[in-house]
Amino acid sequence: MYIKGVGMTKFGAQTYTSQELVYEATLEALNDADFNIGDIDAVVVSAIDTESNGERQRLFSNVLSSILRKKVPILTVTAVCGGGGAALWTANKLDYNNVLVAGVERLLTNNSMRITDEIMMAAERIYEQTEGMNFPAENALVAQQYMLKYGATPDDLALVAYKNHQNAFLNPKARFYKKKVSLEEIKKSPVVASPLRLFDCSIPANGASALILSKDKTDVEIVGSAEESDYLAPFERDDMTSWDATKLAAEEAYKQTGISPSDIDIAEMHDAFTSVELISYEDLGFCKKGDGKEMIRKGITNIDGKMPVNTSGGLKAKGHPISATGVSQIYEIVKQMRNECGERQVSDVKYALAQNIGGAGSTVTVHVLRKVSS
Amino acid sequence: MIVRWICEKCSKKWIYPVEKCVYCKGDITKQKGTNIKVIGITKVTIPSPMHPIIPYNILLLEDEFGNKIPKKTMKDYKIGDTYKEQKAKTKDAVAVVKVKYDIYEAIKESIELLNDIKLNPDGKILVKPSIITPAYPYQAINTNPDFLNALLNVLFELGIKKENVIVAEQPLIGSDAADAASKSGILEICKKNGVDFVDISKGPFEDVESDGYTFKIFKEALDRKVINIPIMKTNFQLGISGAIENLSRLVDEKTQRAMYFDDIEITFQKLAKVIPDVFTIADATNGMQGQGPLVLGEPAFLNLVFASRNAAALDAIFCEATMLQIPSYVQDNNFDSKKIEVVGNELDALKYPIKSAVPDDTPHPDIKVIDGKACPACLNLMYNLTSRLVGLRGEQLNLIIGSMLAKEMLDGKERLVALGDCAIKKLEDLDIKAITKIEENVDEIEQLMLLKKLLTTEGTPKITPVDKVKLKMKNLLSKVTG
Repeated sequence: MYIKGVGMTKFGAQTYTSQELVYEATLEALNDADFNIGDIDAVVVSAIDTESNGERQRLFSNVLSSILRKKVPILTVTAVCGGGGAALWTANKLDYNNVLVAGVERLLTNNSMRITDEIMMAAERIYEQTEGMNFPAENALVAQQYMLKYGATPDDLALVAYKNHQNAFLNPKARFYKKKVSLEEIKKSPVVASPLRLFDCSIPANGASALILSKDKTDVEIVGSAEESDYLAPFERDDMTSWDATKLAAEEAYKQTGISPSDIDIAEMHDAFTSVELISYEDLGFCKKGDGKEMIRKGITNIDGKMPVNTSGGLKAKGHPISATGVSQIYEIVKQMRNECGERQVSDVKYALAQNIGGAGSTVTVHVLRKVSS
Repeated sequence: MIVRWICEKCSKKWIYPVEKCVYCKGDITKQKGTNIKVIGITKVTIPSPMHPIIPYNILLLEDEFGNKIPKKTMKDYKIGDTYKEQKAKTKDAVAVVKVKYDIYEAIKESIELLNDIKLNPDGKILVKPSIITPAYPYQAINTNPDFLNALLNVLFELGIKKENVIVAEQPLIGSDAADAASKSGILEICKKNGVDFVDISKGPFEDVESDGYTFKIFKEALDRKVINIPIMKTNFQLGISGAIENLSRLVDEKTQRAMYFDDIEITFQKLAKVIPDVFTIADATNGMQGQGPLVLGEPAFLNLVFASRNAAALDAIFCEATMLQIPSYVQDNNFDSKKIEVVGNELDALKYPIKSAVPDDTPHPDIKVIDGKACPACLNLMYNLTSRLVGLRGEQLNLIIGSMLAKEMLDGKERLVALGDCAIKKLEDLDIKAITKIEENVDEIEQLMLLKKLLTTEGTPKITPVDKVKLKMKNLLSKVTG
């Protein structure tokens, strides 16, 4: 399948309804594809069923039917933070000519305690939620095990944050667009769950993203699409520092594509926490286990490095509207492949990878995209 | 202790209690790790509704089998430290244990933390659940049948003989015991385990004196060790229904009424002192919050088991953990809840607020209640009448119930309706005029008709001879139609 068009709202603190956000992103994607909504044969949307955002719209697929004036198959696919990727993976399996894939979240709608709790519901209820395991804590324990085992340091994590903030500075759709953040600020930010500091955590946002998947040949092709799952809680896995779902999904996507990790030019990774980006360098096969720190220390994943990662600013600094994130990663890759990224443009992108995670390594999609020569 | 469910044939492990292996269909056994080390720590500085007190630590614990779990604590540990729960050192200690999908293990652990119940294998036991009204287990009004089932299994494992155990309860005055026991699922558990369910209201009772007060106590409760298994709930009248409140249904109906008439602040404490041998293991797995203790309350997933030899200490620690105000009937003058020893979990690590009850709310938005500590009979009557008028709007009414009323409680209140004999008498004593009175011994349909008229009519309507004829017809019709 090919990508016919992409669209996304700015990720921020806007107060539009979820359907208005999807509408805006969809309109951009339709314009990009030179389509109108009549050309769409099916819709796959991702949005978590939040209690705190006040919308009370559980049958969101039919809210979309109303606002898009469409009577076609519309499915909702949820996988919390990995929802966008899961929606794309699902759409790619459907046998329709043109499928609209959208992700949306209104996360910034309540006080931070409620938002923390809302996200915490993705953790295991009895062993984790009742023990205070919010997502920063969940990832902090993983990060600590990883650092103990492989010698990564808080400074390595800070470098990941700094890189992604620098990229977001150049991305008009990012929440941190034109907002400078220094390495010093990152290193001195308050600890939220040791060893993770505030700037090790992704920034919550509201927003939507959309793409049109098509059987018609375009300039961007999805050549690899894989989804894998793992046990919900990291403590239940044999090795907390390496996430099987990422490894298996990556292996499958590379197999479908017939390429190896070294062929990838850029990647959008799921940096919900800076430590996750480091672990993902390894699990996606870009370096051997334990060498993730070297990738960031040597600047390999910087925008001017050998393999830039999160040129959009990532979840860290572009923002993380949960279900919208996975589709927004594809938006960035398509824009990079079309040389439409302005100051953050990476030259000559032929292959790119998007990794989207639900939970702490529980549901992972990996998509590999190829630039189609004209 | 860290528990995993493991396949005896292929050694696959689960964090959930499964019965058969989905791979090889092998039998499952429990793997219990007791040699536990700290392998990771994070200090969390952001609050969430269930964890409002910060900072707190989460330990990553690992046992001798390599099984791991997270554990919240307010204490500081180092990686490599041994982790062990300390047993109680004082007799009034309260054990609080989190249920990890296994109520049986949680009950067992709570008992062990209190240095065992010390049961004589030939001793006789009365298990006292809370079954106050016919309600399904999901409503969290009565002790959960799974909780009773787990407790009975623990008792049998401790060597107690089935024939020496009875489960005994009487519901709130005005509710049917057999119906309540059946709908709550308790009766089925009794049958399954081969133990008798006994209706306390049928007696016999024995007079027992305490500080000049005579209680007619269910004789079996005096002859047997009582294992008190209340469900922990909010209660709009009492603050909470818990360990002490559950014991109040070990007396006959007349004593219950008298205890409320003479002020439960005093009588509850006296009763708790005269039941000789009580060990409480409270069901806070799915307790209740908000407008408890009946259908207006909301189930609250608390996932906890509380245990203690001291019912008042247990109630106090439940209130501390759920950040509810400790009712005055729970504590006497010498009682300091801060000094109660808590084992199993740290109190500060457990604390989060659940919704408390609003004292003057009824099921009907236009009917408020002014409660002079009414007995369960009037309380039940008030609930039944007001809930049946929901949907009918009208002029606000203030229902007065109970006898512990003072003039100040009624100052500025209009449209007072005295419900029940105690309130009627008390208002007469206080020389306060109610717009009408609803007596207890009047037919329920007549009570309902009067309340409906009061709600929908300005002034002071009364039941007329025409109403009486209508009521007779209605009653007759309902008998004919069955």
